[in-house]
Amino acid sequence: MTRQRRDPRAEERQQLVAGTLRRRLDRTQRAAVAAPVIAAAPVTVTEAAPRLRVIAEPAYLVAVVPDAPGGRLTPHDRQVIGAARLLADAGGGAVLALVETPSDEFGAAGIDRVLALPVAGYDPEGKAEAVAAVLDGLSLRHALFPDSADGGDLARRVAALSGEALFAGAENLSPKAVTRAARARKAEQRRAPPRLIALAADAVAPHAGTRHEAAMLAFTFPPRAPGAVLAAEFIPADPARVSLAEAEFVVSAGNGISDFDAFRALATALNATPGASRMVCDAGLMPRAAQVGASGTVLTANCYFALGIAGAPQHLQGITGCEHVVAVNTDLHAAMIERAGLAIVADAQQVMPALLRLLAGEDA
Amino acid sequence: MKIVVLLSAGRHRVSGQPAPVPVELQALRLAVELGGEVTVLHAGPELGALADALGHGVGRLIHRVIADGDDPLPSLMAALTDNPPDLILAGRSGQGGEDAGLLPYSLARALGRPILADAAGLSAGPEAGTLAVEQALPRGARRRVVLRLPAIVTVHPAAPAPLPFAFAAMRRGVIESAPGISAPQAVEVEERPYRPRPKLIAKAAAGASAAERLKAATQAAGGGGTLLVDPSPEEAARAILAHLAALGLRRDG
Amino acid sequence: MIPAGTAFSLLILALAALAAGLVARRVRLWKSGSEARLVSAVGRTISAVSADKLIAGLKALPRRYLVDVHHVVGRDPYAARMHALAAGGLLGGSLLALAGLIPVLGMSRLFWAVVALAFAAALAGGFMVGRRRLPEKPARLSGGRFQRLPLYLAAYTGGGLLVALAGVLPPLAPQALLASFGWLGLALAAGGGIGLVLQIDRGPMRHAFAGAAHLVLHPRPGRFEGERATALAALDLDAPRLGAATPADFPVNRLIGFDACIQCGRCETACPAFAAGQPLNPKRLIQDLAAAIEPNATNAAYAGSPYPNARPVAGVGGPALPLVGAGAMIHPDTLWSCTTCRACVEECPMMIEHVDAIVDLRRYQTLELGALPLKAAPPLMELRYADETAGRPLAARTDFAAGLTLPLISARPAEKGPAEVLLWLGEGAYELRYGRTLRALVTLLLKAGVDFAVLGPEERDCGDLARRLGDEATFQRLARANIATLARYSFTRILTADPHALHALRNEYRAFGGEYEVVHHTAFLDELAASGRLTLGALGQARVTYHDPCYLGRYNGEIDAPRRLLDRLGLERLEMERSGKRSMCCGGGGGAPVSDIEGERRIPDIRMGQATATGAAIVAVACPQCSAMLEGVTGERPEVADIAELVLMAVEAAKLPAAQVLA
Ligand SMILES: Cc1cc2nc3c(=O)[nH]c(=O)nc-3n(C[C@H](O)[C@H](O)[C@H](O)COP(=O)(O)OP(=O)(O)OC[C@H]3O[C@@H](n4cnc5c(N)ncnc54)[C@H](O)[C@@H]3O)c2cc1C
Ligand code: SF4
Ligand code: SF4
Repeated sequence: MTRQRRDPRAEERQQLVAGTLRRRLDRTQRAAVAAPVIAAAPVTVTEAAPRLRVIAEPAYLVAVVPDAPGGRLTPHDRQVIGAARLLADAGGGAVLALVETPSDEFGAAGIDRVLALPVAGYDPEGKAEAVAAVLDGLSLRHALFPDSADGGDLARRVAALSGEALFAGAENLSPKAVTRAARARKAEQRRAPPRLIALAADAVAPHAGTRHEAAMLAFTFPPRAPGAVLAAEFIPADPARVSLAEAEFVVSAGNGISDFDAFRALATALNATPGASRMVCDAGLMPRAAQVGASGTVLTANCYFALGIAGAPQHLQGITGCEHVVAVNTDLHAAMIERAGLAIVADAQQVMPALLRLLAGEDA
Repeated sequence: MKIVVLLSAGRHRVSGQPAPVPVELQALRLAVELGGEVTVLHAGPELGALADALGHGVGRLIHRVIADGDDPLPSLMAALTDNPPDLILAGRSGQGGEDAGLLPYSLARALGRPILADAAGLSAGPEAGTLAVEQALPRGARRRVVLRLPAIVTVHPAAPAPLPFAFAAMRRGVIESAPGISAPQAVEVEERPYRPRPKLIAKAAAGASAAERLKAATQAAGGGGTLLVDPSPEEAARAILAHLAALGLRRDG
Repeated sequence: MIPAGTAFSLLILALAALAAGLVARRVRLWKSGSEARLVSAVGRTISAVSADKLIAGLKALPRRYLVDVHHVVGRDPYAARMHALAAGGLLGGSLLALAGLIPVLGMSRLFWAVVALAFAAALAGGFMVGRRRLPEKPARLSGGRFQRLPLYLAAYTGGGLLVALAGVLPPLAPQALLASFGWLGLALAAGGGIGLVLQIDRGPMRHAFAGAAHLVLHPRPGRFEGERATALAALDLDAPRLGAATPADFPVNRLIGFDACIQCGRCETACPAFAAGQPLNPKRLIQDLAAAIEPNATNAAYAGSPYPNARPVAGVGGPALPLVGAGAMIHPDTLWSCTTCRACVEECPMMIEHVDAIVDLRRYQTLELGALPLKAAPPLMELRYADETAGRPLAARTDFAAGLTLPLISARPAEKGPAEVLLWLGEGAYELRYGRTLRALVTLLLKAGVDFAVLGPEERDCGDLARRLGDEATFQRLARANIATLARYSFTRILTADPHALHALRNEYRAFGGEYEVVHHTAFLDELAASGRLTLGALGQARVTYHDPCYLGRYNGEIDAPRRLLDRLGLERLEMERSGKRSMCCGGGGGAPVSDIEGERRIPDIRMGQATATGAAIVAVACPQCSAMLEGVTGERPEVADIAELVLMAVEAAKLPAAQVLA
């Protein structure tokens, strides 16, 4: 997929109102700049294309600041956009996305306007200053953030910079009220939506139904002084090395597995973090650090794939937090089979090579 | 290096009893292991269980006594400007109070210091006056950041577990109490007992990827699991890969 | 009077003087300890430094030795005979020979004949000592100085015998021959005697006088009065130092106890952690503690079996130097391997209190240093702020009983008066598997019409785990909180299925003012069956073997009721290789499951092996820990069932028309 790289600074220059001392923005120019960007993007929507809804003269702006790594919206981002639409549509407002890298997904996700933030490298404070400038400059009614690692950080920075109240960890949102848990989930706090809101994951449904313009806006940002971050290096999670406690997807071997080369190959091919039952670690077939369970590691993984594991209570204690469990076991009555969302009564020793063959075929 | 670790008035996540916030005790461990002169600081009406922090590797606790409901920020500011530390550590978000985790940011702003979030590890930076922070990102990813000091860093639960509690060390620890600065806060929020809501079942929105739509579909259908008895190995493998793909765990399977 | 005889008597005098010097040296070392203390049966500590306590101890010495020590020694009849001959002969012969200085006696052939008899007995004992160690020494016995013991014994007693014979035989043999006989004997006796006396300082002979002193000043005198005396000593939390870091932190009478060890290795063979290849050997531990009381001590002299898979330590110490740590005598992993099962204490002929020593060392590690095993810290943290080891809601403790009536004592109308029993649920209530056991028990109580109630959300953890892990502060807080709760309600007895809770509530809460009659569910169900409140059917001819929980059997002496109850079920009951008070631990006590110190095998696997060996189809258990540990054993093995579950099956069988109801 090729996508035209855009130059936010050039667009911004186009939108400058000549002759004014303060750099000011002329919103009427947005469509002209935005058009080529959208046109360049291949649209592959299989359903009947949703109706385009244009909000030409918004009564106010509700901004969202998605994480959008590399311009791709995360599910959490989409929920924040859904929340922003609730707040915008209640009074004829428009949703404005403030992003580092705009992409073609925004219109369908429910974004009316897009503004590129001038951020280079990892500079959260610089990003926060830019957002705060927009908050002020465009008199945003609300700015919404995902309360994720980076989004939550940004929201708090913006709150501290602007002196605006932040409602963090919002779990329920309507145009009238936001709520969140407090005092160790013993109390629920509730108030009218303030200007800044950081939304918890899976709290609000993403927007659906209509397509929006995602027209590019431009804005003049104040110059940014160098920050305190001297260097930053991103180290992606390597499933083979990441600690079990943090792994997203764990494939685990129990006493029913005898071919550990195949097991390790399978973990690599599945891009999963390898784990094991205590029996396997006791036997020295896997390192102790791989032990899942009460006396091993308690997982936070989203998915757990158990091969030849009976599912003793002490083992199951390690996976109470796993939403999805896949189990292969020869014993129909194994506790792990009962726990699994996809349970397969079969010889794991034979399923492993079949999986490897299938995965190899996929790659070829 | 002089390090101050901020403590908030926490409550145990289940019992609701007053308790130190685990991630703040983890911050305390990072501080102790980084080395230097470490103190802990709390502004609030009473210490209660927070004195237990003295059993987790630090010998001195500074307590600024303020009324219940007072904004702790001015008191913390005053305590921190008296004898400014090189590094201030705080938890990622409190547990028990507002839980918003805003305070470190307000403090950074007020002190004019940079702030960095979610440290899972700390070590001396490449040059004097710098700090190397290993920042925890979701799902085990990391960012190695070099930061100029003085600074405020918040700590992530992925940091090493707190140093175990030592009762006698707690008993020996020194508590320095002094009145804080009265700063009544306007209460804007209404509070009532917590009411758990069912988590949103992610409905696939238009424009979501195929994987996301499938994921939404399988979650919605969730409840009863699928059981395959004695399939051929190939059948089993296909079923597994399709399931993993539906969960978004395959590169677009 | 024979010249060699007189010389021999003088030799004994000299040896006695030398021995006294060496004893004095050792006594000076003991004095580095803190004030001698006695622990009552309920764990209250009192000073032992008083004339009447000392006199009482001295007066009790013969009985303690002849009855209590011999009760333990006698479990190995060979050793008992060996010891009686060697020790009795040696001491008797030497004392008699000393009396030979009295001219009338020295001249008497009859007298020398008696002396000869004594030494002959001692020599026979010495031979038995030798035969046990030669040609091949069993692993549990120590080598080194201990291996030379039979030689010295033979030389000294053989020499004594020759001297005595020289006094008996005059009319029968030529004078010159007898004289050379006598002098030869004297030389032998001198060599052997010096060897033996020098062994008072560091060798096997130390146990003789240290053992006697230990019996006089034994820290748990209740053990000789028929008490189980197993409650841990309550720690004064305001003391300047909590727990023991150095030998000097131990009371004098406990240091004496360490010196009393004869390295017989009985504790070693009984120790489950040792058997599992974990780095613990109670014998070596006691030896390390005994060695460390000397200045510039090293562990080099020890010649018994090592800590299995020993973690490296510097092996140096001294009265005021730390005992635990890689740079000291004892590796922390050694300390945390112990399940506090007391099998070592039960087996020790010198009545040494290993568990008390281990817990004192743990207390220092936990309370002063916070140096706990990785996985042991989180449960203690949860206990501190949630009164429960996994931080679960206290109200969820009764979730297991969904669908059953579980009356809350707080909702009990006052006019009903005290409840017949208060059912203490314990930590196991949160576990799915053990929940089944508790459901069975509650069902039985309902069937038998027992007037019972539970504390529900007011029941906190009993503090057993915290206490065994050395966290006395948390234990005492929980004990006081539970006592305050219990004080608000009226009930006649506390019933529990958890022997750990039973021990805490029955024995250990007393030091904090909580006195309750606590009954284990096996004893209670036995009562119900005996009084006809429960009608039991027969369970057919299934073979069952009963695993004694350490905290019920050894700690509380209750080994009969569970067996009686099982016998009422019409089952074929088989005994394991180790049972009753000498039963083997399942590995679940003392916080060992959370400390999880790596070994070669798992303790429950060994125990399950013993159960399997009986040919039983069912292992009956009576403790949530045992049930969890034994259920964790994989592969072909007998079923694990709590006695309550079996009893419920029998009650249900009684109702079936076809069932064979036992008379
Ligand atoms: C205090 C305590 C703490 C513990 N902590 C932990 C812990 O943290 N983690 C842990 O894992 N365990 C722990 N255990 C041990 C636990 O109780 C079990 O013993 C252990 O989990 C069993 O491991 P397993 O399922 O691999 O082995 P097994 O119980 O032997 O089960 C093997 C399974 O594989 C199946 N199988 C056999 N062959 C095949 C085949 N060819 N294909 C597919 N399936 C096959 C069998 O049907 C069986 O279900 C603990 C136990 C105790 C007492
Ligand atoms: S109490 Fe049990 S585990 Fe501990 S040393 Fe003694 S025998 Fe071994
Ligand atoms: S401690 Fe007791 S049982 Fe163990 S070796 Fe010494 S005397 Fe024997």
